[in-house]
Amino acid sequence: MTDKEERYAELVNKSKEVIREAFKQFKTSDLAITWTGGKDSTLTLWIIRRVCQEDGIKVPKVMTIDEYDSFEEIHDFINRYAKEWNLDLEWCRNDDVVRAAGGKLNARVEVRDLNERNQAELKRIGFKGEAFPFEAESYVGNHLMKTVVFNMYVERHNVKGIFQGLRRDEQAARAQDDYFEKKEASDLIPEHVRIKPILHFTERDVWNTYQVYKIPYCILYEQGYRSLGAKSTSAIAQPGVPAWEQDLEHIAERAGRRQDKEQMMDRLRKLGYM
Amino acid sequence: MKNVILLTIDALRKDALSCYSSRKGLTSFIDSLQDKCIKFTRAQSTGPYTQASFPGILTSGHYLEYGKPKGLSPQRTLISEPLKQAGIVTAAFHSNPYLCGLLGWNRSWNIFYDSMEDEVDPKTPYIRGRAINTKVGEWLSSHVGDKNYQPFFLWLHYMDIHEPYVPERKYVEMVDPSINLSQDEMYSLFQNTLLRRDVSDPEKVALLRRLYNVRVREVDSYVQEFFSILADIDVLKDSVIIITSDHGDEFNEHGGLSHDDKMYCELINIPLLIYHPKRNKGEVCDSLVSNIDIPPTIIHLFGLEPVASFEGCSLIPLNDYLERGVFGEAIDQRSQRGGDINKDIYFYQENDLKVIYRANLDSWEMYDLNEDPRELNNIINSSPEAKELKNKLKPRVRRWLRWSNNGRKNK
Repeated sequence: MTDKEERYAELVNKSKEVIREAFKQFKTSDLAITWTGGKDSTLTLWIIRRVCQEDGIKVPKVMTIDEYDSFEEIHDFINRYAKEWNLDLEWCRNDDVVRAAGGKLNARVEVRDLNERNQAELKRIGFKGEAFPFEAESYVGNHLMKTVVFNMYVERHNVKGIFQGLRRDEQAARAQDDYFEKKEASDLIPEHVRIKPILHFTERDVWNTYQVYKIPYCILYEQGYRSLGAKSTSAIAQPGVPAWEQDLEHIAERAGRRQDKEQMMDRLRKLGYM
Repeated sequence: MKNVILLTIDALRKDALSCYSSRKGLTSFIDSLQDKCIKFTRAQSTGPYTQASFPGILTSGHYLEYGKPKGLSPQRTLISEPLKQAGIVTAAFHSNPYLCGLLGWNRSWNIFYDSMEDEVDPKTPYIRGRAINTKVGEWLSSHVGDKNYQPFFLWLHYMDIHEPYVPERKYVEMVDPSINLSQDEMYSLFQNTLLRRDVSDPEKVALLRRLYNVRVREVDSYVQEFFSILADIDVLKDSVIIITSDHGDEFNEHGGLSHDDKMYCELINIPLLIYHPKRNKGEVCDSLVSNIDIPPTIIHLFGLEPVASFEGCSLIPLNDYLERGVFGEAIDQRSQRGGDINKDIYFYQENDLKVIYRANLDSWEMYDLNEDPRELNNIINSSPEAKELKNKLKPRVRRWLRWSNNGRKNK
């Protein structure tokens, strides 16, 4: 092994330890994996699959969230590898919101047109408006189209532990995360443990690991995307420059994504700016 | 000293602290620390709002150094960078969106909490000081597990004084029980008077100031709580604590409210205290100092080599500090989203004389702060020193023209 291979083998081994610990704590049938088709969750899934192959365990069920406003390339990538890797995959979507929006992005969604659960969710996050635009990555849209779908999946399958592809360096606010994060049950959220096997990877580590192990990735990263979210709010960071050749150390990874920016703008407005 | 802590308080006016003014009773805890502090009586901020002042506090530089500001320029050295490189554990806890990770302020911290994923209420649109303390306390107890813990640099920032000035009843009762407003009424005062910068009704302006004062009292209690956390974990005796604010707040001293692009004392004067646990006699430093001096001071306290790109000088040891003039700069943030760099304003102060220049209007002001501390009497046309001071400020005006829009230096 070269030095480089050795370094990434070490990072992957740390992830494997976390995954094996999870299999020790939970029955395979109580576990699930979140997969977005993005680089982090695909790496997580790939390592879990490795552990399962090495230890002769069935790969836990996999969930992926269809936020409606998504890239075809990601759909294709997920479907292709779900088949190739023989995964028990479930596509999850908040159909009630899609219906209320008439299936049109940016359409006005009247709160009273939503079902009871979605209305209760809006109340929980303190949304008091009568309507909101149907966008996957606005504050309200993100909650209904992602958070709620996630919680409902956990609830429906009685999931006790769920793997996620979060990294410590990816978002500032996650700096304190631990590999196992217990979420206590609260209003509309079932109790579960979030397991984050690649928490210690940096964005650079992720791409180097892809290279060392020849792990498949979605083609959008070759076109210059660094971070993939909803289609209409993800931007190419540098056109034509593959993600791994970009200045990962100095330019914020999620700078092309809108959700965080929305959140920041919302805070600034509340403080009296803008 | 083993550790250094930087405690910054958003929008805290210098004259709100009793140790700096005749105003009584809002900051009794901070005042009680004076015996262990060096108090800087003439500290200036590099700008009148967060975006303009934090380049001073955390990068020892000025706001418009690298062209149109869009978050933290990669060219700047953030204080966390040399510290982390030297093996010091760096941790940040704050709730100011202008300093969030998305804007690049998360560089080189071992722990960086900016609260941007948390939900907040419009009446208190940030994570409160109490919760910041809890997070800091949790982190500290986990870090300081045994005696051989690595030295740390901790930065924490309280937002609670910042508008919308909707304090809890409990603190209203402590400070000014005759304020007879519900939280909804306080919030409408913010929306209808403060947001509109409407100073036509002196009673409403006075009421805003009273609510502001209540918030100051509240933050004093968070500072007290923070010190007792440090004492409980037994790190207080090993930590130097720098306490300051990023800027002040205006209550119609110069025709406005809040903190816009102005360079007057109510916004630019800041409190600055350096608490040293081994000190037993307070010391006062009357030199003119700037918040750009804070990062070099932190570097000095850790015994590290000075950082070449830092523009300031270490405040410690006091005897070695060479007093110089201080600068500040800002742009109009209100007329367009992201700020209008074509409406820029600068100041330079030397001894008691201060010049202010508004570039888009080509207008100069000058004040003698000794005779006219409230900056009401413009002496630019009569002062014999006007020319000299103008010449010192002029080279700094529109430096941003040297930078292109994408943050590269023009050829």
